[in-house]
Amino acid sequence: MIVTSPAHASPVPGAVAPAVELCGISKRFGETLALDGASFAVQRGQIAALLGENGAGKTTLMQILAGVQAADSGELRLAGQRVELASPRQAIARGVGMVHQHFQLVPTLTVAENILLGAPRPRFLLGRQPLHVEIAALGQRLQLPVDPAARVAELSVGERQRVELLKALWRGARVLILDEPTAVLGPLELGPFFRALRALAASGTAVVLITHKLTEVLAAADVVTVLRRGRTVARDLPIASVDGDRLGRLILGSEETAAATGEAAAAPMTPPAPALAASAPLLRLRRVSAIGQRGERALDDVDLEVWAGEIVGVAGVSGNGQRELAQVIVGLRPALAGRIALAGQEITRLPVRERLARGLGYVPEDRLGDGIAPALSVQHNLALGLFRQPRAPWLLPWRALAQRSAELVAEHDVRLQSLAQAAGQLSGGNVQKLILAREIDARPRLLIAAQPTRGLDLGATAAVRERLCRLAAGGCGVLLISEDLDEILALAQRVVVLFRGRVAGTIDRAAASAEAIGKLMLGRTADLAAAEPV
Amino acid sequence: MPVLEKRRCPRPRWLLLAASGALLLAGCKRPPAQTAGGAAAPTPGSTPAAPIAAAAGSAIPAPIAGKFNVAFVYIGPVGDGGWTYAHDQGRQQLEKLVPDVHTAYVESVAEGADAAQVIRGLARKGFQLIVTTSFGYMDATEQVAREFPGTKFVHVSGFKSNGSNFGNLFGAMESMKYLAGMIAGARAKADGRPRVGYIAPFPIAEVIRLGNALALGVRASCPECTLTVRWIHTWFDPAREKEAAESLLADGAGVVVTGADSTGPLVAAAERGRWGIGYDSANACQASPARCLTTPYWNWGAIYADLVKQIQAGTWRGGNDYRDVDSGIVGLAGFMEGEQPAPGVPAEVVPEVRAVLDRMRAGTFTRFDLFKGPLKNNQGALVLAAGQVLTQEDLEGIRGIAGRRDCAICMNWLVEGVSGELPKQ
Amino acid sequence: MRWPLRIVPRHALGRWPRAGIALAAIALALLLGALFLWAAGIDPVAAYAAIGRAAFWGGAYALSDTAVKATPLILCGLGCALAFRMRLWNVGAEGQLLLGAWAASGVASFWLPAATPRPLMLAAMALAALLAGGSYAALAGWLKARLNVSEILSTLMLVYVATHFNNFWIFGPWSQSGFPLTPQFPPAAQLWRLSDAAAQVPALGGIGLHAGFALALLTAAICWWSLRQTRLGLAIDAVGDNAATARSVGIDVGRTTVLVLALSGACAGLAGMVEVSGVVLRLQERFSPGYGFTAIIVAWLARLHPALVVVVALLFGGLLVGCREVQPAGIAMLLQGTLLFVVVGSEFFVRYRLRWCGWRAHE
Repeated sequence: MIVTSPAHASPVPGAVAPAVELCGISKRFGETLALDGASFAVQRGQIAALLGENGAGKTTLMQILAGVQAADSGELRLAGQRVELASPRQAIARGVGMVHQHFQLVPTLTVAENILLGAPRPRFLLGRQPLHVEIAALGQRLQLPVDPAARVAELSVGERQRVELLKALWRGARVLILDEPTAVLGPLELGPFFRALRALAASGTAVVLITHKLTEVLAAADVVTVLRRGRTVARDLPIASVDGDRLGRLILGSEETAAATGEAAAAPMTPPAPALAASAPLLRLRRVSAIGQRGERALDDVDLEVWAGEIVGVAGVSGNGQRELAQVIVGLRPALAGRIALAGQEITRLPVRERLARGLGYVPEDRLGDGIAPALSVQHNLALGLFRQPRAPWLLPWRALAQRSAELVAEHDVRLQSLAQAAGQLSGGNVQKLILAREIDARPRLLIAAQPTRGLDLGATAAVRERLCRLAAGGCGVLLISEDLDEILALAQRVVVLFRGRVAGTIDRAAASAEAIGKLMLGRTADLAAAEPV
Repeated sequence: MPVLEKRRCPRPRWLLLAASGALLLAGCKRPPAQTAGGAAAPTPGSTPAAPIAAAAGSAIPAPIAGKFNVAFVYIGPVGDGGWTYAHDQGRQQLEKLVPDVHTAYVESVAEGADAAQVIRGLARKGFQLIVTTSFGYMDATEQVAREFPGTKFVHVSGFKSNGSNFGNLFGAMESMKYLAGMIAGARAKADGRPRVGYIAPFPIAEVIRLGNALALGVRASCPECTLTVRWIHTWFDPAREKEAAESLLADGAGVVVTGADSTGPLVAAAERGRWGIGYDSANACQASPARCLTTPYWNWGAIYADLVKQIQAGTWRGGNDYRDVDSGIVGLAGFMEGEQPAPGVPAEVVPEVRAVLDRMRAGTFTRFDLFKGPLKNNQGALVLAAGQVLTQEDLEGIRGIAGRRDCAICMNWLVEGVSGELPKQ
Repeated sequence: MRWPLRIVPRHALGRWPRAGIALAAIALALLLGALFLWAAGIDPVAAYAAIGRAAFWGGAYALSDTAVKATPLILCGLGCALAFRMRLWNVGAEGQLLLGAWAASGVASFWLPAATPRPLMLAAMALAALLAGGSYAALAGWLKARLNVSEILSTLMLVYVATHFNNFWIFGPWSQSGFPLTPQFPPAAQLWRLSDAAAQVPALGGIGLHAGFALALLTAAICWWSLRQTRLGLAIDAVGDNAATARSVGIDVGRTTVLVLALSGACAGLAGMVEVSGVVLRLQERFSPGYGFTAIIVAWLARLHPALVVVVALLFGGLLVGCREVQPAGIAMLLQGTLLFVVVGSEFFVRYRLRWCGWRAHE
């Protein structure tokens, strides 16, 4: 059954044709039918949300619209005209721009070069300076500030996102597809970002928002289309006519809704109070500083403690030192100054393996880039946990490993075809569960989880959060680095806010509010009563 | 709703077919090339139906029944314009000089595992004589000779033999280097640049011997001249040879003599407006005809013909076959029958060179007469007393080799007038 | 108008379609090669028959020649494959081979008495070659791990250093009376060869197959097993696939780099020992026609899989052996080049397919 709002059921004669209309789109990848007659539409000046679980086909559908994939069958109309988009270039030429979840930037080039690369104008890269000024101005106007001269490799994920957006807009996109755009934005960046989208829409651009986050959909979108298992289950519902519960049911299908509806995943889950009886914190950073990718001081005099059984949230706008903080603790980035102690023992100069051996677990921010070896099997990826063992066997005990892997996969609900499957073929949520399974199996005393639910669907998000709470309940310390403020508020007992590499403030759960943290994230510390002196 | 038909595109199989068809047609139109490396036209006897038998063109080396079959194993390509080219010229001459001889060659054979395999393969195919033309083939030739006692093996430039079917072959190139030295010295003197450069591949006895002979020749026509040596540690590397020549020229050398296999040094000398002397093959001077004085070269054809005749007569025994000038194994470009010296050769030295060459060809001035006391080394010590001569072992620097006497005054010293030192051994 | 052919990415291909593409490529290459041969005035059928006979079905001699030629290719190919799996581009196997040969020759002719028992002598030579080749490559690994020097450049440059280093010893201190070779190895330093038994079994006369071939097969088996069963094998594959992940799970990438390059170099060094001890029987100038470089292609064609390295090395060795039947050598090289180009080029069709979309005006 397709839930359809009467206003958009069929093109009314004489009405303006939608900016984009996709009808009966099917697409098969090998064995998998990714899209099964899906349809979608967006009007000029409208923000249309496309909702659905991971693997529902949202991204594939939009890739077809952006010319990245070719549909097996179905029809694509732009402003009422039937077209076939054989390549992204053709799509761009017709004003369809897509910002992918996995950024498509050349890391060694500058921001300006990435924006101009392959763009219709200018024809020649002459006179850099005026172009830099123009790009910076565009960024300012759209509240997407960038440094045109910076190298993309040195940017944080959030900054890269801005470059992607600008890239599409620079090319004159009239239809802008955004795949999970808010995943990398901090809470305080959301408002301006949505205002920018609204302004774009007001100027006649059709905006497609692919997302998991229902609150954002409800706040920002005009209409919503829901995909489930490659089919459109609801199309062009006006946002006023729906609520979170209804959308949740549509996304998950009625039978699963009881388990995880709407924002259930973000509902407070209270871990037990930390064991304050312990004499020393599990993790203690004293005046730690570190140099970032661009040679800037990414961490500046950071003090931080995590006690056993405690979840400490690290909040901050993307690019304020979160990445470097995780790397310095794990040992992937040297500390310029300061000391790091794990369970009372200094680990500042130890190699990664020694730190992991002493009970550190690490769930990296870039899970495909730093968390798994995508071409290796799930089995091999789980076996990578061996390397931290002080007396790791020289011969791999494959039989025991296979048995343990099967248990882990079952326990963590990693959905896969077989243990021999390449880890890179798993969906984002399953990759994250795989990493968690590996890290938790090593029985960490302290787990660093960086952006653990970014881009995951509701089910996976709930599973990951529940796992973190259980870990803490079992006495493990958790350092939760997240740009999702709801997540931090739901999970953390204490919140440490990073601003420009410094701890802007530490707030207890009791005193924490999104507003208070948001101010700290912008660097306004002094007027906050709840902020503890650091 | 109008649904687009599935645009399954047909796989372009026909394209492949068309492409291969076009290639086939192209192949049809082109007449089969019969010659390679400047070789002679195909013999009238060879029919197009049996290109395998084409002697000088592209072929699969195979013996022909009823002929005397000779196979050559080369280190380089026949078109190298140097060492291998000279041997291949000899091979072609052999076919003309001796009736009913069929020859084949395998070129660019590496000196490791390949050598023994190639030589053995030729022996198994039934070639009666196999000539291997690089020093590094020595062990491989010896080994296969042991396996095929009925086949004759001649190894060029080595020192091993077995008294029956395996012998070595070399010639007195030093005599020609001496004459080249006389010409170089005269030129240097006339130009007022009393310095001659020598590009030497490796500090081994053969190269030292040739260098010493060259120096003696230079000093014979220009006593105040010196010979400067550059060791380049390669036999064939056009770029490095040219570089060494340029360094010698920059050093003030009026004439550059090369002991390596490319013509790079001749070109370098010509570019500087100075003079060069080539090596290996009779036509080396063609690289810079105006500025090339002469070329001492190898003349293998006559020798190969002689070997074949000896083998056919049953008189050949594998031994140490080191031939002097009277055998015709070496030549000097511009000074052989019917030739005129190059324009750059000073007129006053021409009769002197001719006189010595005549004595050499008559057998009255041999390689032993070149190195005749009193001779000093370039440290000033007397190496050969007045009237003393070197032995063949001394010339070759033979030591510790079974079946040969050890050298007494081994060829590891440089004669007076050579500036430079030998790398320590 | 627009070009009617589109290049479309393919999803992962199974083993058999891949093999099919490879076979089709070989067939196409042979067809192209036949055209070249024909144009050069050689009967292609006769030429291919001669090549096949010389390399494969010409009896024991042919197989022995092919195996002998393949032996250093297998060992160097294994070395390359080990390093390449970790995305360490050791292109200097040739230099490591030369140093291995040098060390083995030193042991055989100068450092151990000629009367040393044969197994002991050979073991010492192999050990010396492993150490020499291994430490030579480890030097490049250390430069990479410590100073981030590109191993492509360092291993390649070290080939030239090794060539001159060997020449110094061959022409200098180890020279046999000034000739560019060392004295022949004592019998104890020569690998067992089938032709050694020719006195008892005349049929073995001239069959140069030596124990080094068995050693190469053994090494391949060890590599294959180690890659699957050992922690190091897992580390190699993990670093090769994603070095950042390897680092964050506690693999010491720097140390693994040095270790794997050392093992890679050790394989190549062993190839040098096997070649001087099984074939050349002394160290001499230019004894390797560039096995270390050919091995790079062998490793790639074998998709860095040790068992396939053996197969590819044997096929490639056979091709090199057989192509000597075609003269002048330039035509044989053209043939080899065509074959390689087409087979390597067919890799394209493993990843992409062509789609015919018709000539149409751009809409």
